[in-house]
Amino acid sequence: MQELGKIHQLIIHFMGHDLTFNVEVMIMTWIVIAFLIIFGISAAGKKSILPGPIQIVGELFVEQFFSLAEETIGEELGKKYAPLICALFMFLVLSNWLGIIPHLDEPTKDLNTTLGLGLMGCFIAHYTAIKEKGLKTYLKGYIEPFFMMLPLNIIGELANVVSISFRLFGNIMGGSIIILVVSYLTYSLFLPPFLNAFFGFFSGTIQAFVFTMLTTVYIALKAK
Amino acid sequence: MDIQSWIRVSSVVGAGVSMGFGAIGSAVGEGYAAGCANEAMSRRPDMYNDIARTMLLGQAVAESAAIFSLLIAMLLLFTGGSSTSPLAPFGLIAAGICMGIGAIGSGIGSGLPAGAATIGIARQPASKSQITTTMLIGAAITQTSAIYSLVTSFLLIFMDYSARPFAPFWAALLGAGISTGIAAIGSGVGEGFVAQTGVESVARNPTAMSRVVNVMMLSMAVAETTSIYGLLIAMILLFKTYPATASLASAAALLGAGICMGIGAIGPGIGEGLTGQQAIRWIGRNEEATPIITRTMLVGQAVSESTGIYSLVIAFIMIFVV
Repeated sequence: MQELGKIHQLIIHFMGHDLTFNVEVMIMTWIVIAFLIIFGISAAGKKSILPGPIQIVGELFVEQFFSLAEETIGEELGKKYAPLICALFMFLVLSNWLGIIPHLDEPTKDLNTTLGLGLMGCFIAHYTAIKEKGLKTYLKGYIEPFFMMLPLNIIGELANVVSISFRLFGNIMGGSIIILVVSYLTYSLFLPPFLNAFFGFFSGTIQAFVFTMLTTVYIALKAK
Repeated sequence: MDIQSWIRVSSVVGAGVSMGFGAIGSAVGEGYAAGCANEAMSRRPDMYNDIARTMLLGQAVAESAAIFSLLIAMLLLFTGGSSTSPLAPFGLIAAGICMGIGAIGSGIGSGLPAGAATIGIARQPASKSQITTTMLIGAAITQTSAIYSLVTSFLLIFMDYSARPFAPFWAALLGAGISTGIAAIGSGVGEGFVAQTGVESVARNPTAMSRVVNVMMLSMAVAETTSIYGLLIAMILLFKTYPATASLASAAALLGAGICMGIGAIGPGIGEGLTGQQAIRWIGRNEEATPIITRTMLVGQAVSESTGIYSLVIAFIMIFVV
């Protein structure tokens, strides 16, 4: 029980500032990235008309997320953003499943990961808005319906980032706390595998999809 | 009394509050599911087994909010936290309040899709597995606001606050518990409304399942936002560093921030749920209109959420300015 909430940090002094690295989270993130790179190479390395099992899974991802992006963002822009959306989902889903393997942790259990991904989505959405609508129309959106709404509109934009990242963080963190506490109370007998299946596979997949879907919708709302 | 007895007193009271309030929601939700199952059985008495199985599965998910409360109550009774600081009693009581009240919404909410699923199976037996999947997805997302309460209660019990100043931090602990706990009510119920019509629409029009489920998840995620604000305020209250102060006003401001965000989040949660409920219902009937319905739904939910953002702003002012 005591290991909960402890984070292994590497603190480096650099030009009068403390740079803090959450080593464990970084290692876990790199494990996920390595998985994805291997998956990508084995899915697309040997393309054939009769696809192998890995290629089929890869094609499934690509097809699903291209159609989702095109339906949400629109034909033309959707094609452009679909690789990002597909990669985001694959990264999140693998991250959320990683905790099922003993001694590995979900990188999404750390707020830094989810906040980083949320900020990334926010920047992309605003960049898209400026590029598609022009700077003037983009800025005008902040003083609608009338000028007094400016501070609330800005807070509303920030609240989007906060809500999207805390949603993923809270769910994954909550799942892992429940698994830890129940394992502790039952001496790891009988129940933990079922909880892992529910919170890791099922809830993890749903939350990865919700995060991806919300990022897509933020981009779509900004683009139009 | 010495501090040990105060810790014992507060853990016992906290356990009572946690399990007492925590038992409300799930019982209501499960009762609703069983009621709907009766309706379904009167329509299709020959499908007794399928309907009863779906009802029990849905009730099992709805029960999990009460099980979280049970978990916190057990932890409070048997471990009683690890700290011996004079702040510990506040943390333990706040943990009980947070989990107990936080389980109400999710318990009620996740009973609604279970009820809709039993009726849906009676109406459309061929798409039994799709209806069950939709119900499970909906009920699982509805549980998330109870999970936020669980995270906060767990932090309140096991956090190390030995180095914190007593004077404002006792209020921060109570405020954190109240903020997450009460904020979870609205979102839990609201998400339940959305999940209910999601299941209903899949039963009405199984070919539209992927669109209905996509928009359902989106709408539930938006309805959940205000309970995330509650969690956010709780996290800020717990992890901000405070200077020690004797002024009661600055302590009261922290408690006030928790109350403001907690109660302010109830309305937007339910309101956004009602928006999503109608949107999903009409996507099930008119699948082609999905893009325009989704757009209207998101705009409407954003407006409904603005009152939650007012609460967030006032809570921020109380924490950082007052």
